[in-house]
Amino acid sequence: MLIRRTERQARRSGLAAFAGQSDRGFDRRTFLQRSGLVAGGLATLGALPLVSVRKAQAGPPPAKGAAVEIKKSICTHCAVGCTVTAEVSNGVWIGQEPSWDSPINRGSHCAKGASVRELVSGERRLKYPMKLVNGQWTRIKWDQAINEIGDKMLEIRQKSGAESVYWMGSAKMTNEASYWMRKMGAYWGTNNTDHQARICHSTTVTGVANTWGYGAMTNSLNDMRNAKTLIYIGSNAAEAHPVGMQHMLESKELNKGNFIVFDPRMTRTAAHATEYARFRPGTDIPVLYGMMWHILKNGWEDKEFIKQRSYGFDDLRKEVEKWNPEECERVTGVPGAQMERIAKKFATEKPATIIWCMGQTQHSVGTANVRASCIALLMTGNIGKPGTGANILRGHDNVQGATDVGLDIVTLPFYYGLTDGAWHHWARVWETDYDWLVSRFDDKKMMNTSGIPLTRWFDGVLLPKDQVAQKDNVRAMWVQGHASNSITRIPESLKGLKALELLVVADPHPTTWASLAVKAGRKEGAYLLPVATQFECKGSRIATNRSMQWADPVVKPIFESKDDLEVMYLIAKKLGFADKMFKNIKVENNLPVAEDILREINRGSWSTGYCGQSPERIKAHMANQSKFDLVTLRAPKDLPDIGGDYYGLPWPCWGAPEVRHPGSFILYNHTVPVMDGGSGFRARFGVEREEKLPDGTTRKVNLLADGVYPPGSEIQDGYPEFNYGVLKKLGWDKDLRPAELEVIQKIGGDKADAVSWSTDLSGGIQRVALMHGCAPYGNGKARMNAWNLPDPIPVHREPIYTPRVELVSKYPTLPDAKQFRLPNIGFSVQKAAVDKGIAKDFPIILSSGRLVEYEGGGEETRSNPWLAELQQDMFIEVNPADASSRGIKDGAWVWVTGAENAAKAKVKALVTERVGKGVAWMPFHFGGWFGGDDLRANYPQGTDPYVLGESANTITTYGYDPATGMQEPKVTLCQIKAA
Amino acid sequence: MARMKFLCDADRCIECNACVTACKNENEVPWGINRRRVVTINDGKPGEKSVSMACMHCTDAPCQAVCPVNCFYTTADGVVLHSKDLCIGCGYCFYACPFGAPQYPKVGNFGSRGKMDKCTYCAGGPEADGSAEEYAKYGANRLAEGKLPLCAEMCSTKSLLAGDGEIIAQIYKERVVKRGYGSGAWGWKTAYRETIAS
Amino acid sequence: MNTFVARLRIFVTAFALLLLAVAGSPVNAQQPQRVDPQADAVKEEQLLQQLQVIKGRGTIPDVKSYTLEQPAGRDWRHFHEVTLRWIGGIAILGILALLVVFYLWRGMVRIESGRSGRTIVRFNAFERFVHWMTATCFIILALSGLNITFGRPLLLPLIGLEAFSAWSEWAKYAHNYLSFPFTLGVILIFLMWIGGNIPNRIDVAWFTRGGGIVGHDHPPAYRFNGGQKMIYWIVVLGGSAAAISGYVLIFPFYGTDVHSMQNATMVHSIVAMLFIAAMLGHIYIGTIGMQGAFEAMGSGTVDVNWAKEHHSLWLQQEQARATGSNQSQARPSATPAE
Repeated sequence: MLIRRTERQARRSGLAAFAGQSDRGFDRRTFLQRSGLVAGGLATLGALPLVSVRKAQAGPPPAKGAAVEIKKSICTHCAVGCTVTAEVSNGVWIGQEPSWDSPINRGSHCAKGASVRELVSGERRLKYPMKLVNGQWTRIKWDQAINEIGDKMLEIRQKSGAESVYWMGSAKMTNEASYWMRKMGAYWGTNNTDHQARICHSTTVTGVANTWGYGAMTNSLNDMRNAKTLIYIGSNAAEAHPVGMQHMLESKELNKGNFIVFDPRMTRTAAHATEYARFRPGTDIPVLYGMMWHILKNGWEDKEFIKQRSYGFDDLRKEVEKWNPEECERVTGVPGAQMERIAKKFATEKPATIIWCMGQTQHSVGTANVRASCIALLMTGNIGKPGTGANILRGHDNVQGATDVGLDIVTLPFYYGLTDGAWHHWARVWETDYDWLVSRFDDKKMMNTSGIPLTRWFDGVLLPKDQVAQKDNVRAMWVQGHASNSITRIPESLKGLKALELLVVADPHPTTWASLAVKAGRKEGAYLLPVATQFECKGSRIATNRSMQWADPVVKPIFESKDDLEVMYLIAKKLGFADKMFKNIKVENNLPVAEDILREINRGSWSTGYCGQSPERIKAHMANQSKFDLVTLRAPKDLPDIGGDYYGLPWPCWGAPEVRHPGSFILYNHTVPVMDGGSGFRARFGVEREEKLPDGTTRKVNLLADGVYPPGSEIQDGYPEFNYGVLKKLGWDKDLRPAELEVIQKIGGDKADAVSWSTDLSGGIQRVALMHGCAPYGNGKARMNAWNLPDPIPVHREPIYTPRVELVSKYPTLPDAKQFRLPNIGFSVQKAAVDKGIAKDFPIILSSGRLVEYEGGGEETRSNPWLAELQQDMFIEVNPADASSRGIKDGAWVWVTGAENAAKAKVKALVTERVGKGVAWMPFHFGGWFGGDDLRANYPQGTDPYVLGESANTITTYGYDPATGMQEPKVTLCQIKAA
Repeated sequence: MARMKFLCDADRCIECNACVTACKNENEVPWGINRRRVVTINDGKPGEKSVSMACMHCTDAPCQAVCPVNCFYTTADGVVLHSKDLCIGCGYCFYACPFGAPQYPKVGNFGSRGKMDKCTYCAGGPEADGSAEEYAKYGANRLAEGKLPLCAEMCSTKSLLAGDGEIIAQIYKERVVKRGYGSGAWGWKTAYRETIAS
Repeated sequence: MNTFVARLRIFVTAFALLLLAVAGSPVNAQQPQRVDPQADAVKEEQLLQQLQVIKGRGTIPDVKSYTLEQPAGRDWRHFHEVTLRWIGGIAILGILALLVVFYLWRGMVRIESGRSGRTIVRFNAFERFVHWMTATCFIILALSGLNITFGRPLLLPLIGLEAFSAWSEWAKYAHNYLSFPFTLGVILIFLMWIGGNIPNRIDVAWFTRGGGIVGHDHPPAYRFNGGQKMIYWIVVLGGSAAAISGYVLIFPFYGTDVHSMQNATMVHSIVAMLFIAAMLGHIYIGTIGMQGAFEAMGSGTVDVNWAKEHHSLWLQQEQARATGSNQSQARPSATPAE
């Protein structure tokens, strides 16, 4: 039976017609076909030499005798940070191997990670620059594209001012590129620079940072292995962070842990839960308060922790007491007994952690949601220790990094904010004249004014001029790596697409910006620039756990694609400020050197502790991945280069690289010395606060930690953040080196005492603080009461579109207000919806979320045949009861209609009990259809993704978080009919 | 010699489809051919379980038994492979296979359904190990390089195990003992006529 | 068939589960269902015992792939490897053995009164064309079909893997494409000869008198005697069954699942084996079994004495019609038959 090899080799293959034949060794014709160039006609290829159209040939095995090189990169699809190991031969990526050495993914990938090799053969990629000419996409050259775009931008700047150009960046770029994009905004003269974090975790960043200092995941996926109780509220890790699930499931197994999932959907994560609680979308705060109610009633709270390390507990108690089990069940649907059971496990079976993602953030109450989660952790002392914490799972591969480097409308890089001080700091780092920067803005006031959130770019274009608080409406969009279909209210964004004067999309794919722009009726003034994927670029990215990882390019940019940084260099040159902007950066063949940019970041990022993460240290980590411990992520102390470091130097990594701070594996962990990554909460909110008492008097309350401090701290209590003045008081100023002192005095001038740990470019203040066992940012309390937020204590507010109209009067959304240059009329919209009885016509709650196969707007992943095959149709999950009452069969086409703009979408029904009765759910990754029309013809030929479908956001509606401008795609109303 | 097997720990499987795309990637399997797939039982209901399934490389393989032209062979590692040169595309192996493993490039039967394609346990086919011909017809031959199937190597939660049957059974047993539950080694009774006590 | 029972059980179980789900679903939509997946975790063993097949949900369009396990494949394999070979072997070898024994015992059935030298048209050109088209197809279909069941043990060892595979592939093409003329033939046979093949009382007498083959009797018969009618109905019914089940196999999974496909192969192969056996008998009697019989499908004319002995009533009819219609239709000819 066994066929022997010898016998087999001798056989001729007479009948070998095999459909799966791979495509190696193709001739020129096949080559062109596979490049998708034939589709556009050879004519368009014109006289361009083939060499400029680099096509990565697919296909292992390597040619005989060809060397195979191993290159490491980082997966571009989510923030888990999986290492990708590529086998490259003759410049062609021929195979992917498991990355066993990475302590994060240990060889594993999800569907997306296991298919990334396809991205650089990229059959459906945008291959060369294109321009919309009379409604047709036409090939142009890079020079022409940059020239025309630049001229138009300068023209708009002349006419409407700098603020009329909107710079939309990406969480998929490296730290270096997203930092540079933010810098572009500054040098161009606008704060209208934003990226995906706006629609992802902007509410987390704001809410969490306002609680305890930094708005990032406090612990890590690896550390979850220490947890006894894991509570998921607003996270479907199984689909959104599959490799993270490896650590979580092992934690559940090894610790016989509680795996508790709160979710409106019975998700793939819930399938592994030890306890699953279904609740109504948009009631996260009542759920969390309902849990806290039981904790307080039974005295399960951590009283010592509350006293020593938190502020505002009494205010909180008042709010929690309103959420007795009856009210909680009435609003959320979760029965009291189940709530009590979960509360007990959370509060008593420690360590416990709360895991969340966009389920909490994408609401008009997103900031309050995440604050409630933080408060639950504070109340039970589940923060700052192994196995505890706010395990906030970020979405894109570098969304944490892009946020930190300030590609954002509210701050300069590293959360310095938008103040004169911040501008001066960065002007010093950039070695650019501050006054020149001022001159770039329409006026100095705008310099310190937050920009328009990208969720509302089209409102910036469309609203009457007097409602947009800048010189003129938005006239031009530069979009580098952001989807349009992940933003809500697509019918209105369509109008915005029509009204724009200039649309530039720099992306590996044309994206829905292209197809919808044509749909909107645009004929001219749109450009598509092919940008390389991160597998063709070099640089660092930050994983969800704040670890920085370095990626080398696996292959050179394919076709005519360019590195993000090269594109920015070219446009900066065209716009006339490249010399100033690239002052300290080496540029090779138009490509800025990523290492130089990271060094510039190191020099300026004291506030967030990116200062210690030099390219050399990070590269050493990548080279020695196997040395780091699986659970603690720490390398043994005796190793050269990386000894004692935590993997990827999770920020804050204090001091200059030479200080060799190991990074902070767990934030606010006061049980380990600062030089081992310990610290208290950041003393960000002052030293004390004056509280008004009911009798009209005031009292001062201490905001610094109360008797707790990391081991080895020479200050054995809470302390404020360090500045030169504090050092002097402590007598530690004599520890400063002369060179450091000189820098401090140069920065501070006559106010040298105010030069702080975050503005001292010498790093001396940080070094001295560390020397004495102190965290540079102080040792403060976390705030349960964040007095500067719209709701200092989180308050439940019904979604803008809610089916429970009877609850709106008791739990209304916040009043209309002007935020981020635009009016937020959520209150009026909510009131109108109730008055008009929208909930009667649109009785089904619609939520949206992720599929494991796709990412973000999905154009890239839907263009990958290995992934696209797995999800070929846009669908809506409908409960069997809702389906049968509407005569809808599983797999049949249905029309979903939305509450605004007569929005409609034709999708397939997936009849399932994953969703409860009265709730429907759609994935948000689809695009390329609109209102039942297939827009395939609107893509440049050969660049249309394999799978197209209606966007969920065609149906989603108004609703913006007042603190961040976050949209509300997680809860709206819809109606479903059989098609 | 080791007897190679697959084991999907359904208590770990999260239907992430990494195994599916890893297979596509490693073997450049064309659209429409699904050597591996993930099936979710009791979807959205209590007791939901997802299981990744491909050719289990059965002991006394039914496909091999029913093939009219005897195109299958079992390697010394217990991997069930076939020769596409010999296959006549009759479809019988699919009827006999308990796991729905055989795939055909054409849906109809006119003339032929095309050469059957299935999971090779990343062990290629009858051609010379690692040759271009072998890759074109069967995909990668990782086993010859001392590596295991990529689907299992890349599994996001270490749910899908591949390797010597005794070793992976031992791993699974230890897991079940440690965590206290296990829904069984899916397909083992059918494929290997053995179960792992849980 | 046990798969049918299995399917019924699936249906019943699914229905019961549905009832349970309906009964268990909460009145208020927003009320959560408490779910502890661990407690309700399904186990493979239970599912297999309850349902015989494990199905779930997938995302690719290939719905077949949603079936996780179908151990029924094992039964089908046993059928294919063992049962069918026994059925086929017994049927075909059995009938061959019977024919040999019969031939040795009875020898060729002669025209007892000897050839008259006068012939009569029994089958016209069209009828003969249809017969031979069908017959040719049948023989190729039979051989290529038998190859699937018996080729591997019998032929493969003789000619080797490559040659056998090449032959089998061509055989398979032939099997698929010749199914069309064969089916057409069966339909035409059905239409052409249905008139003479309705069973009647004379057939009973014919059978009770051994058809004139067992002894030396000559029971009367019209154009088709009882035996021929039997063959006719075997061809029509067996041919239809083989054709229908065959087309199910040619268009796999068009409205069928793997169970239907398994059932189709079982029906097809059993019918085919019996069909082949029956046709061996037909061939025997049409060739060496009976003097003068082959001519009916050969030249289309038979000796009048042959007709008198085997189809006396038909001959009378023909002769009556010939006289009645001035010998225009069936004209006994003076020329010798051969």
